[in-house]
Amino acid sequence: MRNVANLLRILWGILQEVSGQSAYRRHLEWHGVPHSAGAWRRFCDERWAEEARRGRCC
Amino acid sequence: MSIAGRILWAAVSLVAAFAMGVIAQNRGESVSSMWLIIAAACTYLVGYRFYAAFIAARAMALDDRRATPAERLRDGHDFEPTNKWIVMGHHFAAIAGPGPLVGPTLAAQFGYLPGALWIIVGAVLGGAVQDFVVLFCSLRRDGKSLGEMAREEIGKVGGFIALITVLLIMIILLAVIGLVVVNALKDSPWGVFTIAATMPIAMFMGLYLRFVRPGKVLECSLIGFVLVMASIFGGQAIAHSATIAPWFTYGGVALALGLIIYGFFSSALPVWLLLAPRGYLSTFVKLGVVLLLAAGVVLLHPEMRLPPFTRFVDGTGPIFAGKIFPFCFITIACGAVSGFHSLISSGTTPKMLTKESHAVSVGYGSMLLESFVAIMALVAAASLDPGVYFAVNSPAGAVGATPQAAVATISNWGFPVTADQMSVLANEAGEKTLFYRTGGAPSLALGMAKIFSGAAWSQGLMAFWYHFAIMFEALFILTTLDSGTRVGRFMLQDLLGHAWPKLGETGWKPGMLMTSGAIVAAWGYFLYQGVLDPNGGINSLWPLFGISNQLLATVALCVATTVLVKKHGARYMWITCVPLAWLVIVCFTAGWQKIFADSPALGFLAQAAALEAGAHTALTAQLAFNARLDAAVTGVFLVLVAAILIDSVRVWVRVLGGEKATRTTETPFVLSTLAEEA
Repeated sequence: MRNVANLLRILWGILQEVSGQSAYRRHLEWHGVPHSAGAWRRFCDERWAEEARRGRCC
Repeated sequence: MSIAGRILWAAVSLVAAFAMGVIAQNRGESVSSMWLIIAAACTYLVGYRFYAAFIAARAMALDDRRATPAERLRDGHDFEPTNKWIVMGHHFAAIAGPGPLVGPTLAAQFGYLPGALWIIVGAVLGGAVQDFVVLFCSLRRDGKSLGEMAREEIGKVGGFIALITVLLIMIILLAVIGLVVVNALKDSPWGVFTIAATMPIAMFMGLYLRFVRPGKVLECSLIGFVLVMASIFGGQAIAHSATIAPWFTYGGVALALGLIIYGFFSSALPVWLLLAPRGYLSTFVKLGVVLLLAAGVVLLHPEMRLPPFTRFVDGTGPIFAGKIFPFCFITIACGAVSGFHSLISSGTTPKMLTKESHAVSVGYGSMLLESFVAIMALVAAASLDPGVYFAVNSPAGAVGATPQAAVATISNWGFPVTADQMSVLANEAGEKTLFYRTGGAPSLALGMAKIFSGAAWSQGLMAFWYHFAIMFEALFILTTLDSGTRVGRFMLQDLLGHAWPKLGETGWKPGMLMTSGAIVAAWGYFLYQGVLDPNGGINSLWPLFGISNQLLATVALCVATTVLVKKHGARYMWITCVPLAWLVIVCFTAGWQKIFADSPALGFLAQAAALEAGAHTALTAQLAFNARLDAAVTGVFLVLVAAILIDSVRVWVRVLGGEKATRTTETPFVLSTLAEEA
């Protein structure tokens, strides 16, 4: 049961990481600001300015 | 290792050898794909347990006491110590693209065995080694990119060549994957509607995330997924409507132009509106479909109907010209060795690793997973009747312009197929015809649909699964297309910014529009030439893409070898030199043949000469020009990579001869304070 819970936790973690929600949480913690529409937009603009420079694999 | 452990690993090795023997010895009858899956899985396990562990312990001396860049440079942004399995999932999502699905499908022209062996052996000894060693190099250098490492380890020339090579590869890649989409959607109102619908869906997601529920990416992606599934059913209704179906029925040229216009706008529009939401959607669909395909292949393990070898190993194949050597190894790049992975291994991933030892599972392990995806794609293609496989994938120029001519030609090759059989299959798949659907995507979709609809609960859903698979492949490819165009634009701006600094400013709108236009025009031209090509375009463009991708792997392995030589002298340089030597032989042989071969089907220059010797029309003049252009591009690739290879060998000789001081470029040791895995 514990293994299943661990597996689900990891899968959820992968989804959070792939979706950028973990990165957003870290961003809020690092800057010490609460979640808001403005904070999300600032995060997205910063993140995607860099993401858009990275190639996607073939 | 304990005695039980030794017995276990000896058993795994024996099972791998036995399963490999079964698929290699089979002649003249279909064989269960389970043997191939067992052979691949056991070989990967042995490679991971022994070869990766050997490289990690001896050549790299991975040390978990050493603080990684994620710990030392933690910034709450890029550098962040992250759980090993989460990094692995993230890395796998980044390296998995359409290549490992399409390449093995096309290479099945030689039979299933050559492709299967190359995917398994190439990944264990080449592709996974490249990804792992480049990840290690970047990890010990503050997460630096491949270009930066090439500049530091080999020299300025090496760094500049790496940049130019990546830009050129990007252009060819975007053209060839665009062609795969065009060929999949030609005369298919169902497919065109479904793919067109993903654009407003992605824009809706962008607006939803920006203004309605900021930050709720998973919730928004779920809504997007439901809408995409609805669009597949909507496409079915549209395909059956005599009034609306013509609005979504287009030929190759119109679809190519549509894609070119789309590429321009996707590069110029704000990222949050289209590129980002489409990226989320495609990543989740990709992970879901890969899992679904794995479950389908493992649980249903279909019979492989293609023979282990076909008559086309002699180079006379209808899908692409060229003998099994070197073209099998060029056609399958991403499932075995892919240069593009080195960009990911020296991108985000090294900035997230908590411990050095995690590089084994993330770098080496993820490539083995990607290789397994390629094996599943090969199984899906090989499970089709050989006659059907060739009828779908062969261009009219190779088999004849009518269905009757095509089935006669293919049946004469020893792969019986009838026009009625193809008609029934097209009807089941919800398409008007499945002839001449070159590019690999439709035959892969057909194979996947056959596997999925083989499950008891989904019988009768063949048409749905076919279009689901087409949607998945096209979504995947369009995401690569729009983000690749944007990346190409930034690279061009960086390059041209040296000559005209204003152009290097990414916020300057005229510069952005000019460079976006230049990149789209570059890949758009190659896409257009592929559509015009009477041989389907794949014959010329896919090998060009394969050569360029493998040449990028050559650049990555040059950097990796230089690092190993500076670290240990000649002792462990064979680890990267063996795959490097193989890729150099394969790429240069293939490149030479594509330029200079006497056969017009194979050699670009011979093709141009043959076209000019025939009737003089505007089309033949353009086709001859295109063939010469392809020859020139191939030549440029070879010259650039030869230059970086010579530069690298020069550095190795100087280091090994004691002429050059081996100054390490590794960051100094800092003791890690992270006690346990994050």
